Formats: sequence, C-alpha cells, structure tokens
Amino acid sequence: MTTAALESAVRSPGTPVQRIRRWLGHNALFVYTFAAIVYLMLPIVVMILFSFNRPAGKSNFAWREFSLNAWLNPFAPLGLSDAVIASLRIAFVSTIVATILGTLIGLGLTRYVFRGRAATNLIIFLPMATPEIVLGASLLTLFVSIGMARNELTILIAHIMFNISYVVVTIRARLAGFDRRLEEAAMDLGATEMVTFWKVTFPLIFPGILAAAMLAFSLSIDDFVITNFTAGSTVTLPMYIYGATRIGVPVQVNVIGTIIFGTAVGAVVLSTLLQRRDRAA
Amino acid sequence: MSEQHPTLVTRAMTRRRMLQGTALAGVAAFLAACGTAAQSATPSAAPSEAASTAPSEAPSPSPAASATAKPSPAAELNFANWPLYIDQDSSNPPKSPTLDGFTKKYGTKVNYRESISANEDFFGTIRPALQAGQDTGWDLVVLTDWMAAKIIGLGWVETLDTANTPKFVANESDNLRNQPWDPDNNKRAPWQSGMTGLGFDAKVVGNQTATAAIWQPDPRWKGKVWLLNEMRDTIALTLLKLGKDPATATNADCDAAIAEIKKAVDGGIVRSFLGNDYKEQLIKGDLVLGFAWSGDIIQAQLERASLKFNIPSEGGMLWTDNMLIPKGAAHKYTAELMIDYVYDPEIAAQIAAYVQFVSPVKGCKEAIAKNADKSVAALAKNPLMFPDAATLAKTHIFKALSADEDKYFNDQFSTLQGN
Amino acid sequence: MTALLRRYRFIVPYLLLTPGLIWLAIFYVYPSVQMFISSFWSGSLERGFTFSLSNVHNYTDALSRYQDQIVRSIFFAAAATVATFLISFPLAYTIAFRAGQYKNLLLFLVIAPFFTSFLLRVISWRTILGDDGLLLGPLKSAGLVGDDVRILATPVAVIAGIAYNFLPFMTLPIYVSLEKIDKRLLEAGQDLYATPWSAFRKITLPLALPGIFAGTLLTFIPAMGDYVNAELLGQTPGTKMIGNVVQSRFLVNNDYPTAAALSFILMAGILVAVAVYARLLGTEELVSSAG
Repeated sequence: MTTAALESAVRSPGTPVQRIRRWLGHNALFVYTFAAIVYLMLPIVVMILFSFNRPAGKSNFAWREFSLNAWLNPFAPLGLSDAVIASLRIAFVSTIVATILGTLIGLGLTRYVFRGRAATNLIIFLPMATPEIVLGASLLTLFVSIGMARNELTILIAHIMFNISYVVVTIRARLAGFDRRLEEAAMDLGATEMVTFWKVTFPLIFPGILAAAMLAFSLSIDDFVITNFTAGSTVTLPMYIYGATRIGVPVQVNVIGTIIFGTAVGAVVLSTLLQRRDRAA
Repeated sequence: MSEQHPTLVTRAMTRRRMLQGTALAGVAAFLAACGTAAQSATPSAAPSEAASTAPSEAPSPSPAASATAKPSPAAELNFANWPLYIDQDSSNPPKSPTLDGFTKKYGTKVNYRESISANEDFFGTIRPALQAGQDTGWDLVVLTDWMAAKIIGLGWVETLDTANTPKFVANESDNLRNQPWDPDNNKRAPWQSGMTGLGFDAKVVGNQTATAAIWQPDPRWKGKVWLLNEMRDTIALTLLKLGKDPATATNADCDAAIAEIKKAVDGGIVRSFLGNDYKEQLIKGDLVLGFAWSGDIIQAQLERASLKFNIPSEGGMLWTDNMLIPKGAAHKYTAELMIDYVYDPEIAAQIAAYVQFVSPVKGCKEAIAKNADKSVAALAKNPLMFPDAATLAKTHIFKALSADEDKYFNDQFSTLQGN
Repeated sequence: MTALLRRYRFIVPYLLLTPGLIWLAIFYVYPSVQMFISSFWSGSLERGFTFSLSNVHNYTDALSRYQDQIVRSIFFAAAATVATFLISFPLAYTIAFRAGQYKNLLLFLVIAPFFTSFLLRVISWRTILGDDGLLLGPLKSAGLVGDDVRILATPVAVIAGIAYNFLPFMTLPIYVSLEKIDKRLLEAGQDLYATPWSAFRKITLPLALPGIFAGTLLTFIPAMGDYVNAELLGQTPGTKMIGNVVQSRFLVNNDYPTAAALSFILMAGILVAVAVYARLLGTEELVSSAG
C-alpha cells in the first residue's frame, strides 16, 4: 500500500504529501479488504446461487433454471434433517465444552509459572500437528478397546479433543502481553480476586474467547475425517454430503448451507445493531 | 500390541472363473413401479414365512445353526447404505416406500443410515470392532464387490441361511451368482450392479468405442481425460486394452498395466484419478473422456445430454455393490428378511426406478415396464439399466486377488497416483 | 475461598489445567501412544501384525520412499502460509483499527465460509476455477490466456485451496493481537516516528508478532498434514502431499505401520520447524504462545 501511496503522491504534486499518503493508505486498505472479503465469499455466493437451481437430474452442478423448489421443501432428501440436527447439536456442545476447558488452560499457561509448563505446551500443541486421519483412527481404536459404542457421544468427545488446542492457542494470543497492572490496580482498590476476574480480566479476554468459540464451532460443524471414524451410525452433515456425491448432492444441501450461513450472518448483524443502539441511548 | 488374524490365512479364496457367456443369457430383466407419490408400499407377493428351521434371532449374536425355535423379526434393523441409494419420495418428512413397506410387513423399525461414503473409509470404521470380535452395530451393510471379497476373505461376515431368503435364491441375476469370492453364493447378496466402461462427451470427442483412445494425444481430449481411482476398474480396463484378461491377472500383468497408464499420465493426456466426482467435472466440461460407471452417466445425461457411455471394444467390467451381514450382527435373521424382501421384483423395481443402476433382480425389468408413469416405464428400455446379452458378453469380472496380490496391486496403483 | 486460594496459590494453575489436560491425556495421548507402537509393527492385516523395535526401518523406508511428497508438502504449506499471511494481515489490520461498527460483521465474514460444508466450497471452487469457469472463461475468450491453460489439477489450485481453507487461522490470531494494542501507543508512535510506515514497522508489527507467530503455526501445521485439497482440487499424481500418502496407506493399503511411521515423521518435522521458527523469531515467550 505504501508503493501505491507513493505513486499517487508523485502524480499529484503540490498537496501535502503526508495527508495524501495517509488517505490513499486508508483507501488502499479498504479496497484490499473488500477484495479479500469477495475472495472469501465467492464460493458462498455460488453455493447460494445453486440453491435456487432446478437441476434436471439428481446432481446440482450445471445451472438450468431458477426455482424455489428446494427452498419450499428443504428436508426432502431422506436423512438430511437428521444429519443437520446432529451436526448442529455436536457443534454447539463441543464448542461450549472445548471453549471452557481451553480457556482455563490458556489462563493457567499465561498467568502462572509452574512445574510442567513445557510438557503442557507440548500436549496442547501436538494434536494440531497430528494428521486428522491418525487422530480419528487412534481414537476409534481406543473406543473399540474399551468397548464403547460409537454414537453422537464419541463424536462429541473427539470434537472437544481437537478443539481444545485451537481454543488454547487463540486465547493465549489474546492473553500474551496482557497488562497485569490493570488487575493489580483493581485489587489495590479493594476488589477480591473473583471480582477482579469477572470485572477486569474477563471483559478484556472476552473477544479472544468469542473468537476461539467461533473457530471451534466452525471446525466442529465442518469436520469430516475424524467424525467419520468416531460416528458409528450417526450421520453428520459433512458425512451426508460426502456420501451424496456418489449419486449427486441434492439442491437441498445448498439450501441448508445457505440457511446456516444466513442465520449466523443475521445473528451477527442483529447484535451489531443492538450494540449500536445501546451506545446511542 | 500385535494383532492376529488366524481366520485369514486359512481362507484362501477359490479362483473359480465365471463362465461369462452362458450366464448372460439369463440376465433378463427387471423392473418397475414406483415414481408416483402414492406407490403401494407393500409388495404384491409376500415373502413366504416358511423359514421354520431358521436360527432364532436376537439374544445371541451368532446363533448356532442348530437352533430350531421359530425366529421372529427383531424390533429394529441397523442398515448402513450409501446416500441416495434407495427409493424415496419427497413427502415431509421424507419416506422410503421400500423401507416403510418392510416395517409394515414385519413390524421392524429400520434404522437406515446413509453412513457409507467410501468403501475404505467405512471399512476403516468397522474394522476394529470386527477384529476385536465385537458387534459393529450394523446388521446389514452395502459394500462394493472387491471390498466385500476382502471382508469375506477375512472371515468377517455371517453366512446367509438361504432358507430365509428364497427370493434371493430364486431371483438373483444368473450372471452375478457364484462369484469366485463367494462360491457358495451365501455370503452376500448384490444390492445394485453396474458396468465400467468409457464415459465421454460425444459433442467434444465424437463417439469413442475403444479404450485405446485414452492413449492418443488427441487435442480434443488431451489433458481432459480422467481415470478411476478404484484400482480394479482402472487396471482391468487397461489390461483389456493390452489384450490381457483381468480374470487371470498376475503381478507381471499389473506391472504392464501400470507402465501403460504411466505413459498416458506422463504424456499429459490423463489429468486426474477420480472417484465419483468425475461426474461433476464431466458435466462442467473440465473432463471429456475417461473410465466411467454406467449409472453415473445415466444421471449425468440429464444435465448434459451429449454424454455417452460405451462398453469398450476391448471389453468392460461388471461390478456389484453387495449386502453383507457383518460378523456378530445382533439381528441376523431380520437382515436376511430384508435381503429377501428387496429381491421381490416389485420392490426391486421401486428401488431401481430411483437409483437407476443395473438391478440384480430377475423380473425387475418387467415390473418397471408395467409402471403407470410412462417416464418410469420407459426406463425398462434403457440399455444402461437393462443391458442386453451382447453388451454383457463384453463385460468381465476381476479375479479374486490373493492377499499378497491385493497388496501388490494396490501398492503399485497407489504409487502411480502419487500416494 | 479467596483466602484459601491465596494460601495454596501454587495449586491454582493445576486446577485450571487439569480438566482439559485429563481430556487430552485420555483421548489424545493414550491413543497416540498406541499408534506410536503400531509404527513398529510388521506384517499385514491378513496375517496379523507383530511388534519389534527392529522395525524402526519403517521410518527410514517411509522417508526415502515418500521424499517427493514430503518436499512437496513443505513447499505447498509454506507457499499457502505466505499467501494466507499476505491476505490476512491487511484484513486483520482493517478489522482491528478501521472497521468501526462493522468490526463484528467483518470478523464474522472471515469465519463464515466455514459454517458451510467444505465439500460445497470445493464444488464452488471447481465451478469458479474450472477450465471455462468464472475466472478462466472470460480470460480465455478475451484471449489473455491460452486455451489449454488450466488451474484445476495443478499445484496452484492446491495451494489456493489450502490458503482459502486456513485463512481464519491466520486472520483471527493476528486480529486478536492487533486489537489489544493500546491505540494511544500508535498515536504517540506516529507523533514520534513521523511517517505512518515507520510507526507501523516499529510499533504495530512487533506488537502483532505473537499473533503472526500463532497464525503462521496454525496455518502451516494443518497445511502440512492436509490432504483434502490435494484430493479434491489437485487430483493428479504431481500434487499429492504427505497427508494423501498417510490416508492411502491407512485406508486403501491397510499398511498401518507405514501410515503411523509417516504420521510421526510429519509430527516430528513440524516440531523441529516450530523450534527453528521460534529460535529465528527470538523469544521464549513466542514459543509458548504457539502452545
């Protein structure tokens, strides 16, 4: 962005160079951000578009004609609604549990010096470095060896397991360089440790917790490999879609994808609006 | 930590070769009804309840054959299949007339799960339980022939009590019977079958009838050719192109086929090794010629009418997806009832009209031709669903590879694909 | 309660760590040890496997046989990480400092793609990147690129796919570390350093380093082990990565010892890379911020 700023600065002599640079710098940044968001959203736009397709056959790859068919009957394919519900349930529960466990570890690791830190770091780190297939296969071996039937519970266990590390890492990035003096100040003013935590520490790390939870949710709802190994007779949405490619992914899958996406966007927009109203009030 | 598989070594597979020609004549026919929302869910002919000598159900996982108590259908049946591989109507909530019919007839709740998305992946999920001698949680699973052969070879399936499956015994297509890996025809029952041959976009490449085309660097298809990532399909079609018979393939033949494929890959003609997703890219036009499964092309034609399927002049392959009862299944008898049930031609027609592969059930064609819905009845004339004897005469079956051969072939084929 | 906590302060970290660590010990460490043992097996699924320390050659065999894929994995993962960083940093910077009321929305949009199935995204990408797709179609009809140019089934498609897939893993940590920078520090810096660029270089960038470090690792590590993108966008022998080999050894060839050995080679390689990277960046604090 500096190069761009420099060029324009040269092309428009006579104006205060610094102001132009800063102005262009800002705009270049917005243009760049816009491009990045377009890049991120492009596949989703295609997905949404094809949710309005009326394919000739069972697969939904070539655009044919506009139709609301799939939208009017989104759960038409056998087993799709079960898969969606199972996926959402697993994602919610595993996100909550993993976020709590991971946040606790994150707090422990950044705020205390204790024996076994290095080992803890390693144990947090390794699951992220392990190929998914190995995680899935070794977990399955464990479940079988202790005679535990595979169902939604085993999927949950697996999802919480792989989510913990991601939560810890995200939380730690937030906590690194955390200004402890804020807490000390609160305690000096007579706040107890608990009060200090909830009134000072928690609000400060909350954005990190939220980011970690979002990451965990998205990892969970989209996981195929590990889920496939630990699922037993439960079918999650990614498993359904993966398997459906054999005959053709039904249009309804695009509809479900669009609904999940839309719900999440709606929730965020709503909370942003509410926040703004609060601030205005 | 060592794992032992005593059963395995002893289970050498027989290598009886199928007599193609004679078997074909009987292929006949199929199918049927369905299509309309109000299909009659109950089969017209009820399976006979004659199985009085069958083993009793439920409590003991592997009932001894000597049990004589009259069995009764279990309350539930855990059935794993591939997605969209059974008829369904678009009511809300969705229903499968076939499954509902079974429930109505036997009072059994079918826990039908579309859990299988790839043979290897699914096997990976049931293997530890089988190895540990535990119930996999499934009573009936559908796997492709080579995987079925492997699991049968490992001794991990229940033997069917054919007294409980009279319709399977009577109605199985003759050309599918007594596979070399199931010589007694009692370890599996075909769910659907199909052919492997050449799939292509006739508008781009013209009518291609020979596998050899894939080795010609024609600009119309160079860089837009795919091969299947299923080892048996790709090796077999290449062997046929080389004039070798897949029914007698040796390690040396495998090497020759691999070397031949490598030429086309290194020459930049072959772009990818794909599973079912070739269909998507074929519809989109990124691929124009390659090895394909017949049912896929029927489906894809609806989206791109210029797609064609030919059994190559050098020869094509015949494959089956098979119902198996995993060792230790809790509801073996009920699983047998299900096998028998789907071998009723009316039920088979109902399924075939939806999935549009080649039904393994005799009488399916006739049943489908009688359908009130003309578009469904017309399927009876589709040569890809009901191939004639001449077409079938050009198809081959892969030999039952020994464990060592299987390892060798797969190793070479994995290396060829870069993994 | 508080008094008790204060008295036994040394226990607090363990109380915080225990629940999560127990989870990981049972569901990660223990199964992994079992898997490690299986990397010293020999034999086959049909004949059974036997353990022997002399089977350490599983490791050397795997290394020499799959060196192409190993080198390719490092290259693809590194290229994707760089691409991800180049996209993420300005994005995170905008969200942290310039987005105002749209901060939450933008933050959400970064993750949004991952609320939809990866397979749908891959199918979308195939539509976009297709030989005559949204991207190449117009370029080809404008005569800007040759007719036989393609992106799918090339390393470019795989790297782009990985970069897309792991973008939030880079953006979020960078955002998190940028967001907590004290804005007054930046104002003071701009006053002192005069140009925004040097203020950026001397204040923002160093303070963002923990996030960059975490983001790089969160991207590079899973990218090294990724096989989905090579499987679905590459689909050609020249784009297969080490993850594809593990997958195929495990599921197709039932060659569990090699699959396990390769997994541990991958993990060891990643550990070494992380250590070297941490050393290069300098501080111990950074190492621990990687987890």
